[in-house]
Amino acid sequence: MRWIRYFLLIISLVVLQTALFPSLRIWDAAPDLLLVATIAVAYERGAETGAVFGFVSGIAIDCFLSSPLGVSALAFSLVGYGVGIFQSGLVRSTRWIAPILGGLGGLVGGFLWICIASISGSEDLFTPTSFRILVIASLYDALVAIVIFPFARWASGEHEYAHR
Amino acid sequence: MAVYRRESRRRPIIALIVVTCLALITLDNSGNGVIGTVRHTARDAIAPVQGVVSDAFNPVANVFDGVTKVHGLEDDNARLRAQVSELQGKLSRNRGVGEEYSQLARLLDIPDIEDVTGVVARVIGGPAGNFERTLTLNKGTSQGIVTGMPIVAGDGLVGKVTDASRTRATVTLIDSPGLGVGVRTEKSREQAVTQGRSGDRLLRLGFIDNPRAAIEEGELVFTAGVEGAAYPPDVPVARVVKIDRNRGELDPDIFVEPLVDLDKLVFVKALRWPPRDVAATDGGG
Repeated sequence: MRWIRYFLLIISLVVLQTALFPSLRIWDAAPDLLLVATIAVAYERGAETGAVFGFVSGIAIDCFLSSPLGVSALAFSLVGYGVGIFQSGLVRSTRWIAPILGGLGGLVGGFLWICIASISGSEDLFTPTSFRILVIASLYDALVAIVIFPFARWASGEHEYAHR
Repeated sequence: MAVYRRESRRRPIIALIVVTCLALITLDNSGNGVIGTVRHTARDAIAPVQGVVSDAFNPVANVFDGVTKVHGLEDDNARLRAQVSELQGKLSRNRGVGEEYSQLARLLDIPDIEDVTGVVARVIGGPAGNFERTLTLNKGTSQGIVTGMPIVAGDGLVGKVTDASRTRATVTLIDSPGLGVGVRTEKSREQAVTQGRSGDRLLRLGFIDNPRAAIEEGELVFTAGVEGAAYPPDVPVARVVKIDRNRGELDPDIFVEPLVDLDKLVFVKALRWPPRDVAATDGGG
């Protein structure tokens, strides 16, 4: 049942990422909804679930990008794994955890994406403009994380290790 | 209150994911047909929902555009009025020469942009990612749009179809890194290749035949249309906006600005080019 909710979450976010947010860019930057969702799921469920969710959501969005299939999947799964490791060492949560994790995770995930895409053949990604877009996108990620984290919590369902 | 949690089997899972991703990247780079089929299936499956969402949120996007871009509209308006006046003048001056060229082209059986038919399509989406320059069209192979077709708008060249599923087509824009367009300059008629730069709307003019050619700011560049070229000849592409002749360097840095506003496209045309070779289904025009 949980994976059905995750599937619905992924499909919804893919539709929004491809149909809505290209029109809602701020200084050429759009948020990475599926990356933020990966961070949220990893925060709720840990490294393993975060990595698998990141892989599946990355494959989903890769189908709509011109970069090779697997680039987003690799970047998202590594971020999901890292956030899962981080949250396992978290002693106390904070109300600002969603925007903080969303923003920082977006920054790291975006940078990982650039590195992986460059290695896999995409050209001319290491430019000052790309890094400007990366920073703005991570701020945008922090903003949308406030909305996405509750949905990820719903999708993750009740479990004994849930953060509250 | 958070609770410490231990998960077993972390490392094999992440290692398996990493290996799988690397394998997928390698397969996609090698042009594996199965991955292409997976992409096309995913795009066609999502397409109806994308259309509904796009239409439903169009007013929201318009308001957002109005708020974020209003400060540039007056400048854009004035600049465009000036450009229209200049181009109307050029059009008038070129009409006589144009008719002579058309007659000569017909006699020599030279393919002309006016002879090229195409498929009109609507732009329904921009790039899903932050580091690519693409558009999504509302038509695909079932309506006659196939990979490789040049895309034009009223003012000039837009890009090329780089992927097409049954109902959708992806266009890579001319300012995308990795999509070079063979061009010639308007006055000096030098041949060169445009080079997009990530995040920058200006293109760099590279591989100029004669680096010392007298290329001027304001000069237009058109598609070169050499034999076997991916684009028809004489399609307007860009205008020279900056020439940087650094001391000690042989090749000047020449920057051109696309004539088409690639961020505000609504309708475009996919050209059947070359006219004899493109095998397209009859789906539009």
